[in-house]
Amino acid sequence: MLKKSIMIALILFMCVPSAFSQTNITVASDATWPPMEYVNKDKTITGFAPELLAAMEKVSDIKFDIRNTAWDGIFAGLAAGKYDMIASSVSITDVRKKVMTFSDPYFEVKQGVIAKKGANIKSKADLAGKKAGAQIGTTGFLVTRKIKGVTMKSYDEIGLAVEDLYNGRIDVVVCDDAVAADYALTNEQYSKDLSLAFLLKSDTPEYLGFAFKKGASQDKLKLVNDALKKVKESGEYDRIFNKWF
Amino acid sequence: MADKSHPINIEVGDGAAIPVKKDKGLVNAWSISFFGAIGCIIYLCLVDPDMYWEVLKFLPDGILVTFQVTIASIFLSLIIGLFTGLGRISDNKIINTVASTYVEIVRGIPLLVQLFYIYYALGRFEFLQISELPSAIIAMGICYGAYMGEVFRAGIASIDKGQGEAARSLGFNKTQTMFMVILPQSWKTILPPVGNEFIALLKDSSLVSILAVADILRRGREFASVTFSYFEAYTMVALVYLVITLILSKAVSKMEERLNYYEGY
Repeated sequence: MLKKSIMIALILFMCVPSAFSQTNITVASDATWPPMEYVNKDKTITGFAPELLAAMEKVSDIKFDIRNTAWDGIFAGLAAGKYDMIASSVSITDVRKKVMTFSDPYFEVKQGVIAKKGANIKSKADLAGKKAGAQIGTTGFLVTRKIKGVTMKSYDEIGLAVEDLYNGRIDVVVCDDAVAADYALTNEQYSKDLSLAFLLKSDTPEYLGFAFKKGASQDKLKLVNDALKKVKESGEYDRIFNKWF
Repeated sequence: MADKSHPINIEVGDGAAIPVKKDKGLVNAWSISFFGAIGCIIYLCLVDPDMYWEVLKFLPDGILVTFQVTIASIFLSLIIGLFTGLGRISDNKIINTVASTYVEIVRGIPLLVQLFYIYYALGRFEFLQISELPSAIIAMGICYGAYMGEVFRAGIASIDKGQGEAARSLGFNKTQTMFMVILPQSWKTILPPVGNEFIALLKDSSLVSILAVADILRRGREFASVTFSYFEAYTMVALVYLVITLILSKAVSKMEERLNYYEGY
């Protein structure tokens, strides 16, 4: 009797996913990075990346479950298997590739430098002797700390760094150009005072990708790559891109 | 035993446990954790120098900042605490109310929120834009000042009423009585909990990393965020904090021993 019910339960269990043929992917996202991903006034996670994921859901059998996760520790959570994927404007770098697997790139990014209007900071050379802020562990942080003569401060969230710049405690903030533009040009309060000073030039183009745990099953990665490809080919990607940028 | 009319009511924070007399001897909780932690650090650095030694080399300036914050805020909180304690026992209604209100408010707001408030919220006003280290010290000082106030109040209350009455009858005025007779005697009751608060404050100082103050924890997090070696970085951070607080708790217990010297301990 017990055996039978276990068998039935097992069969049911095996049938359910195949019947709907749906793959659930839990996604971690640090939604403090406007306009890429952020929490809007209705307390829902929105932005370029969440909309892209939604479009990918439509062309595939994936069901994304986005969870707002603090950036500091987001990679540790992936390694610990707390979620399947990170969609949080993660730049694909060689160091990161050693500890995680990336999907195909979904966005090209440059590092933008925000400064106060009239601060006379126009190039990398002007940064010498200045106080710079960035979010801990982001590309902006990694790149800026290598510039000679810069005093580096690392913040938990990019918004706190921008606030400190606005209050005059640091001279520049370095972050992804789209985010920098959002704060310096779009934000009602900050845009009066701050400007996007310049873009840090990089020798190699920098791309954002969805990060997966290294050594995890490749099925989900393949599904995500296929869906991303379809969205790009159908022109849906360009529509979302134009909406946000 | 304390007289019922003068209850000794010392608040003990969450500082490291102060060893008691029966813990004496070579093998006790303190020596196991202390030498264990030191041994762990040395062992890890020898086994995997690429990781652990690198973390350890990354931390020293953070240790310095942690000490700066801790020592400066303990002095600030002692000054605030002394006046709060005196205010709390004052006969003057206004002073008493002000001191009590301060304690109520500060103890009702989490330290993390206070840090955010003083740095980011008040930072919106130009004349209050203090840089991160002074902000952290002021916030910690104000918070612990309230706790210290309670310690001082209890310490003063522990002195027998007759001491004050005797001093007054010998012609001391109120201030002289307080500073020359009562406070010097209450020192013995006040110092151990102050030492304990000091250790608690050092541990709580890890919260200031939220203000981008480069203390031990922030340095460890920066290291981890670049190398992704979370286990190695936070293990080292925990061990370093442990070693520091254990040294301090030893110092506090030694001090307590000396204070109790004449009571035959």
